[in-house]
Amino acid sequence: MTDATAAEPTGGQTRDLSGARDMIVCEGVSKWYGDFQALDKVSATIKEQEVVVVLGPSGSGKSTWIRCINRLEIHQEGRIVVDDVELTNDLRNIEKVRSEVGMVFQQFNLFPHLTILDNVTLAPIWVRKKPRAEAESQAMSLLERVGIPEQAHKYPGQLSGGQQQRVAIARALAMEPRIMLFDEPTSALDPEMIKEVLDVMKSLALSGMTMMVVTHEMGFAKEVADRLFFMEGGQIVEQNTTDLFFSNPTEDRTKLFLSQIL
Amino acid sequence: MSEISSHVPMANVPVAAPPEISKLPPREWMKENLFSSPFNSVLTVATTIFLLAVFRGLLSFIFNPIRQWDSTATNLQLFMTRAYPDEQYIRIWFCVAVILILTGVSMAVWRAGSTMPVATLGHKLMGAGAFLALLALLAPFSASATIQWLAAAVAVAAVGEAVRRFAGRGGTDRTVSTLTVLVVTLAGLVASLWVVPYGHHSYIAKRVPRVLAEPGTVALTTKLPWTIMLMIVVAAYFAGRLMRDRLPANPIRAALVVLWLLAPFFLVYLVLRDPDFDMGHVFSTDLPIFIAYAVGGAALLSWLTRPSTGETGRIVAVLVLVAGFCTFLTPMRQVVRLDMLLLAVFALAAPTFAGGPRARRRYIFGWLGVLGVMSWLITSINTPSTVTVPGGFFIGGFSITLFVAVIALVISFPLGIALALARTSSMPIFRQLATGFIEVVRGVPLITVLIFFSIMVPLFLPRGMHLGEVAAVVIGYVLFSSAYLAENVRGGLQSVTRGQHEAAEAVGMTTAQKTVFIVLPQALRVSIPPLVGHCIGVFKETSLLAIIGVFDLLYIGRIVIPGQTEFMGSTRESLLFVSVIYWIFAYQMSKASQRLERRTGLGER
Repeated sequence: MTDATAAEPTGGQTRDLSGARDMIVCEGVSKWYGDFQALDKVSATIKEQEVVVVLGPSGSGKSTWIRCINRLEIHQEGRIVVDDVELTNDLRNIEKVRSEVGMVFQQFNLFPHLTILDNVTLAPIWVRKKPRAEAESQAMSLLERVGIPEQAHKYPGQLSGGQQQRVAIARALAMEPRIMLFDEPTSALDPEMIKEVLDVMKSLALSGMTMMVVTHEMGFAKEVADRLFFMEGGQIVEQNTTDLFFSNPTEDRTKLFLSQIL
Repeated sequence: MSEISSHVPMANVPVAAPPEISKLPPREWMKENLFSSPFNSVLTVATTIFLLAVFRGLLSFIFNPIRQWDSTATNLQLFMTRAYPDEQYIRIWFCVAVILILTGVSMAVWRAGSTMPVATLGHKLMGAGAFLALLALLAPFSASATIQWLAAAVAVAAVGEAVRRFAGRGGTDRTVSTLTVLVVTLAGLVASLWVVPYGHHSYIAKRVPRVLAEPGTVALTTKLPWTIMLMIVVAAYFAGRLMRDRLPANPIRAALVVLWLLAPFFLVYLVLRDPDFDMGHVFSTDLPIFIAYAVGGAALLSWLTRPSTGETGRIVAVLVLVAGFCTFLTPMRQVVRLDMLLLAVFALAAPTFAGGPRARRRYIFGWLGVLGVMSWLITSINTPSTVTVPGGFFIGGFSITLFVAVIALVISFPLGIALALARTSSMPIFRQLATGFIEVVRGVPLITVLIFFSIMVPLFLPRGMHLGEVAAVVIGYVLFSSAYLAENVRGGLQSVTRGQHEAAEAVGMTTAQKTVFIVLPQALRVSIPPLVGHCIGVFKETSLLAIIGVFDLLYIGRIVIPGQTEFMGSTRESLLFVSVIYWIFAYQMSKASQRLERRTGLGER
């Protein structure tokens, strides 16, 4: 789809991150919805500043996995450690992790009754306890970064889908997170609005943010990702660096998926 | 959603004007809309005949010479306040003035009213003239009366035509504010008080003054006060405009909302207060307790809301709660106990609102405000009422209808929201308690609740504590209303999508913050229509007060006035009058709800 960027796969995938510290550690994470097993012993480690992309057919558990990482879903087995804090039922740990981890949803989930500016400043003022003036100037600079400062006093319903998703990114960044999670951020967008969101995400990746992205945008994956995960049936079927993943997939299932999607 | 903004960048492209919808001439309009097919023609004719017959029946009821309409006009004071003593009547007018001042200022601050073209006003007047003419022809008048009414109709229509011509002459579209039209209409009504002797009736001497307030006309007692009231509301409107232009909008609006919420309590207190009440007790006991709690509580909360306080704060808050419960084990003044519990609630909530100096100051002001209202309420409840009048509860009529409805609603709103939150909460104890309460109250007829509260509650009260009958009934209404409110609000809570909850959680909000900032605003906005329906319901259900012996509006109209020797058997007149009063208020609430929906943008997404 974004073939212009796919032509030159010169992302950060040649970066050597072996010395960086672990940001997200999952060990044998399992989760069931009733009798259906959504996650089956998922283990992975994501380094600081690393950008990983999770691929897979729908129903393969990739959204469930990413939502477990800030505990919007509760895993039933295994352990998840985010920035040295283990996710348990302890409320304080959950709040600590959530304020360190930004999340962007497929359906944007902006607060429809608040202006764009209030959407972005609400959490910094009430969760981070920032003074309003400081939060607002920070919000304005974030809105400039995602390219829509002139919309600050409108309501979400007045914005296009791509603009709403960029506001959602600004809202997550306003908490100054160390990790950003993206759950199919472009799946609900018109084709011509996808690029403006992907551009914001690319610049975010270049700035050194640790990112975990569930997406179907292969161009984005090739260009930006350090590493790719392929999931099916709640398991990680294959994980590899971006070059190797596309040029030399080992598993049959991965080959089939790539042949259908590329 | 996306269409709006996608138009913006194309602003320099010439935009095609929408095609004008041509107006059909009346004959074609009728053909298209009323007689488009044989069946529709039959339907139109049948409906017209039916409507005319109903209208004529109503008119012949109203204008029948045996109708005693002066029974309602003469008894207006009875309808409004029942037996409130004449020498204290200035208080009632003071209450009306307070309400009108608040109304005027609020209308200015919220920019009520709109403008309409003068031509439209002319058209409306002409329509009114046509309506009057129809009325004159349909009503069973004598020939001379018909001619008089027709002349009035022609005069109104002529004024309308003159206004229309005046509007068209300038070439430009002249507009007039709807508020101006409203004030002119009201001024006309008030002016008519000075001219027309409404309710003229000569009484038999030595009537009991409690039933028929005074000899003479109603106009004699009300024309001066109503003139002053009209001037007050206009003055208040202009004062409100000054405030709106000079001061920041949000603080004024917040202050007005608080005043509106406090006004009912203040006014009830004002109406019922004993003129000889000794203030010594207030200064020697109530005020010192208030000051102690205000200073001590402010210091405690100032410390608790400091972000650095941390976990010790929660322990201290729980200790305050325990102390609050302990006060119930030892003999102590009620106000001390209740204030302690209130302080515990604020202390427990403090970490949520912790923050910078401004946030802390705001929280402490919140504490002082709530404490002040609470102390003042307790003091006024303990104040011996009141104006002495022989007989049972002396105030009644429309004022008791309004008092009970407004106070029941003001108290049951927060209670209903709390119940709805408890019922949807994940904590089983809260959920089951709330569900149990709601299901029990909803399964019982309101009358039984009212009778229970008026008869049984005084038996359960501790010795020495006295609760007036009306107060007991208000508690019954509050419980009943809050159960229904809770269900309406719950519907709104469920309409807030899961994505909203997740988005709020993902930015690290606590459950309390999520509820206050994200869930409740959206839930309440969705529930505006059912909530207003509920308000109208409570307002009308106050007519059940008659069953436990309170003289409410309906009871006076149905029993008291038809029982007066002068107006024997005028039940139908008073009932029609009473239903018009109910309708006016219910309809205004309904209109207010529509305005509120438009303002909050409901149904636009």
